[in-house]
Amino acid sequence: MSNEVLRGNFETRDKVEIKQSEETLEDRFEMEAKKRLGGSIAFVSKKKVMWDTDKK
Amino acid sequence: MAKILLINPTVREEDVPRHVPYGIALLAAIAMEKGHQVQVYDENAWRQGDEVTKAVCVADDWDIIGYGGITTTYGSVKRIAKIAKRYAPQAVQVMGGGLLTSMPREMMSWLPEVDVGCVGEGFITFPEICEMVDRGGREFWDIKGTVSRKPGGGLIMSQIRPLLHDLDSLPFPAWELFPLEEVYFKNSQVLFSEEGMLASRRLDINASYGCSLICRFCYHLGIAGDMRYVEDENGEMNVAFDQPGTYTRSIRYHSPEYVGALVKHAHDKFNVNFIGFLDENLMTMDKFSGRTWMNDICKQWHDLGFAPKANDDGTWTGIHWAGTSHATLCTKEVLTTMREAGCSHLVYGYESFAPHVLKTIGKGATRESNLRSFFWTLEAGIRPVPNQIIGFPNEDFESIRMNMHAWDDLGIQVKPHFATPYPGSEWFTTYRERINGQYDGDLERFILDLGDASSISAVISHNFNAVELLGLREAMLQLNYRRIDEYEQIWRRNHQIPDGAPSTLLSENMTGAFLRDADKVKNAIKDSERQDAVVETANAGSTH
Repeated sequence: MSNEVLRGNFETRDKVEIKQSEETLEDRFEMEAKKRLGGSIAFVSKKKVMWDTDKK
Repeated sequence: MAKILLINPTVREEDVPRHVPYGIALLAAIAMEKGHQVQVYDENAWRQGDEVTKAVCVADDWDIIGYGGITTTYGSVKRIAKIAKRYAPQAVQVMGGGLLTSMPREMMSWLPEVDVGCVGEGFITFPEICEMVDRGGREFWDIKGTVSRKPGGGLIMSQIRPLLHDLDSLPFPAWELFPLEEVYFKNSQVLFSEEGMLASRRLDINASYGCSLICRFCYHLGIAGDMRYVEDENGEMNVAFDQPGTYTRSIRYHSPEYVGALVKHAHDKFNVNFIGFLDENLMTMDKFSGRTWMNDICKQWHDLGFAPKANDDGTWTGIHWAGTSHATLCTKEVLTTMREAGCSHLVYGYESFAPHVLKTIGKGATRESNLRSFFWTLEAGIRPVPNQIIGFPNEDFESIRMNMHAWDDLGIQVKPHFATPYPGSEWFTTYRERINGQYDGDLERFILDLGDASSISAVISHNFNAVELLGLREAMLQLNYRRIDEYEQIWRRNHQIPDGAPSTLLSENMTGAFLRDADKVKNAIKDSERQDAVVETANAGSTH
């Protein structure tokens, strides 16, 4: 679904539309797990991990 | 007419966007009422990053790009200012809000992209800036309530902008320019009460401005009569806020009829089922009005048919609502009336249950009034939201234990905030040197570090450092008295404070800057002891 992000009382020269990203299963899992973080609830945030297997 | 882009900066990235920015929504409505062409980009709601901010800056030939907000928007504002300068260099950049107002000279120096700042209330100043830009003028120093750049370099603070007293002359906020369906209504839930939890279409309103009290950690955004202009040490005009012995206030509120009409507008146009009052302290207004204001607002709720009626499935018809109360200023009667009109929860800044701490914070509340209001509110059927703070200047092991016992006895579930000296607060002025010291003299780093006080930034406690406060809070949450007792012994050895003596470093033996700080605290305590007189004086000098 796309949305026009500028809202006002006239038409702008250019439209600025964005595609609102749907929540992925990964997003949902990480958000739910974060709410219960502590003790045995720990997880890797895949968006932040630096994954370079060539480096030692 | 001027072509205006208003940008709502990103704030509290760790949470979803929950609140339509009331000030920007009002300024948008005022500018449209004056005939200007207005667009809003709610960066905080959409959270699409710099590429979209850049795209909105080039989407039209803007005459003005305006932005601002509370202090914690600073990081986002700094980014927006740079993007706007690069991609819309023709636009006059206008900044406002509590962020600019608390430190206008520093902000204008840290943000060279800003052409003019609105100091204090922008209801009149902002449209006057728009009008000047529209006719090609750039002499912003002729407009009251601005800080702008001298043609040859340096800054000019124009005359102070008087506060608007006829608040009912304001239009309703332009809520329709914000992504209500896409973002805000999805995040309507407020986990302070059952009704708040079930809210599915919430909007917030501001029925009053200011607070008569002098909490030393509080910043009233320069719109509570708390702001004065004074010459600083360099002989230049600058803002000044609460200081020990100098408190000024102006109490202003909308009429109950305006509030009723605003809620009806929110209901008829947006089908809301919950209203959050953003007011600093509803009870200040109620007391100042001679105990008529809240009653009349509640009467509006009934007369308009908004007082909620429960359905069998747990939902309701009508509109529940919530706001802020005060331990000493509330009454049993008004709480009952509020509940009957649909009030579900009230935020109380109890802050502490230790008398010796409460005496120093300027709140006008005592342990007894905290407890009294707590039970009155529960008895009325309203959930009290008992906010707590640790790390006050004279916080000690005794106050920590008193708080834990109170939480335990009263069933309070809370993770306290840390006492934080936000710019514009009395404690920011008092502890400015100490704050600078914690950030290597770089005040901008402190501003960037500020969050909502649930994380730690500059410490103003004389007895505990940041690491100690973090550890003590953890032990408090677990009601772990044994660990706190153990640590007190270590602390006493480290600071050579014998058993039986008060666990405080606020003694007569302190030297240098610390002694000066201690004197300030003593003076503050003195002021606190006569705070009723101070508040009454402030009230007597106010109009509404």
